[in-house]
Amino acid sequence: MPSVRAAEVAVVDLDVCDRCGLCLPLCPPEAIHLDSTALVIDRVACTGCRKCIAPCPVGALAMTAA
Amino acid sequence: MRAVDVLVVGAGPAGSIAAREAARASRGLEVVLLERDRAVGAPVRCAEGVGDAGLREFANPEGAPWVARKITRVIFLAPDDTEVQVAERDVGWILDRTRFDAFLASEAVAAGADLQVGTEATGMTREPDGRWAVTVRGPGGRDVVRARVVIGADGVETMVGRWAGLDTRVPARDMESCAQYVVQGIDFDPDAIYLQFGEDIAPGGYAWLFPKGEGVANVGLGIVALKSDGRNARAYLDAWIARRYPRGARTGYTVGGVIVHTTVRQAYTDGVLVAGDAAHMINPLSGGGIVNAMKAGRLAGRTAAAAICTGDTSAGRLAAYHRDWMQLLGDDHLKYYRIKQALEHLDDAFFNGLARTVNAIPREKRTLGRIFAHALVKHPQMIPVAARFFI
Repeated sequence: MPSVRAAEVAVVDLDVCDRCGLCLPLCPPEAIHLDSTALVIDRVACTGCRKCIAPCPVGALAMTAA
Repeated sequence: MRAVDVLVVGAGPAGSIAAREAARASRGLEVVLLERDRAVGAPVRCAEGVGDAGLREFANPEGAPWVARKITRVIFLAPDDTEVQVAERDVGWILDRTRFDAFLASEAVAAGADLQVGTEATGMTREPDGRWAVTVRGPGGRDVVRARVVIGADGVETMVGRWAGLDTRVPARDMESCAQYVVQGIDFDPDAIYLQFGEDIAPGGYAWLFPKGEGVANVGLGIVALKSDGRNARAYLDAWIARRYPRGARTGYTVGGVIVHTTVRQAYTDGVLVAGDAAHMINPLSGGGIVNAMKAGRLAGRTAAAAICTGDTSAGRLAAYHRDWMQLLGDDHLKYYRIKQALEHLDDAFFNGLARTVNAIPREKRTLGRIFAHALVKHPQMIPVAARFFI
């Protein structure tokens, strides 16, 4: 496994997230998971690429320090 | 622990038709249809529009309780609000997806499938005998279902595709971020759908109004975030509604992603098929997915049943599903995708000019073919674009 970690990772605001699933296929390392209760982002797998941030229709995703 | 022949994950149009067709193909097959949400068809994440001919392959819309409105006209709005009415007759229907999806699921049950609502697949692993062991969580707690074939009809987020090792990722330029309100108390032609393009209105997509009845409509839009000015889809929609329908009451709200790409490279693997949005089986030009999903579900259900009856559910056997899909619609989607790419090079001035040109044609003669021909004559810059459609 690579030892280099991303400086920033994506986080979800679950109060805003509508669980539509749009961000899942956008994530290159498939670090975002969805189940019947919540969207979950794997902070270890996230590479900080930001591809999920802007497409969120409600702005529920943001970057934070890893 | 339960052993079944076909496990369908997701009771939307793809999953319910897949379950129905698998159960109909062979009465002896045990078919289970899972729905994560507690009610099939809710929440609605859809503009609910469907073409007439495609729908009729699966269900008769005349007088059906799952229809909201018949549509006989299309009104395109240029970026500068110039209206262009296109002459059509049997354009399509606006569905009540909650009722429609429940109707399709009931057809699957009538054919012999076992529908389980409020039941979610949470993971799956392949067993030494080739079957998939799918862990499920539902009202009765956790369980494991062993299936000869799993059909992933679990939408844009498809976890089944991922668990099966299929690549269902999509580039950001091919993801439409959509937002939609149900708006009440507004004035529009209830027999028409309205579509508006514009760089400042819906960059990379379009805005729509789909009537659900007189004065009530699904009003939404899709944008490609890479082309956005920094606002999200909801902010673009708020601006569009404030300008066009300022007096409307927004009584419902939904968001979602529409993949405007082409079919996944591989929609099958050993003992697994993916169908509908999960396999990116969406018209990339229109964003329409309902009929595509039902056609894919029909192929998936029949292919799964036939494979089980021959005792071979390997990837080699299930590859027939992907080939049949590409022949049926997947290859067309590749062509539509090229048209979409060509249209991306056209700006608002082009569409404003085209709208004026088309409005000079008598309304009854405004077929899409004629519009296209006029576009070529009056706008020679369209010719290289048009040439690319057919490459």
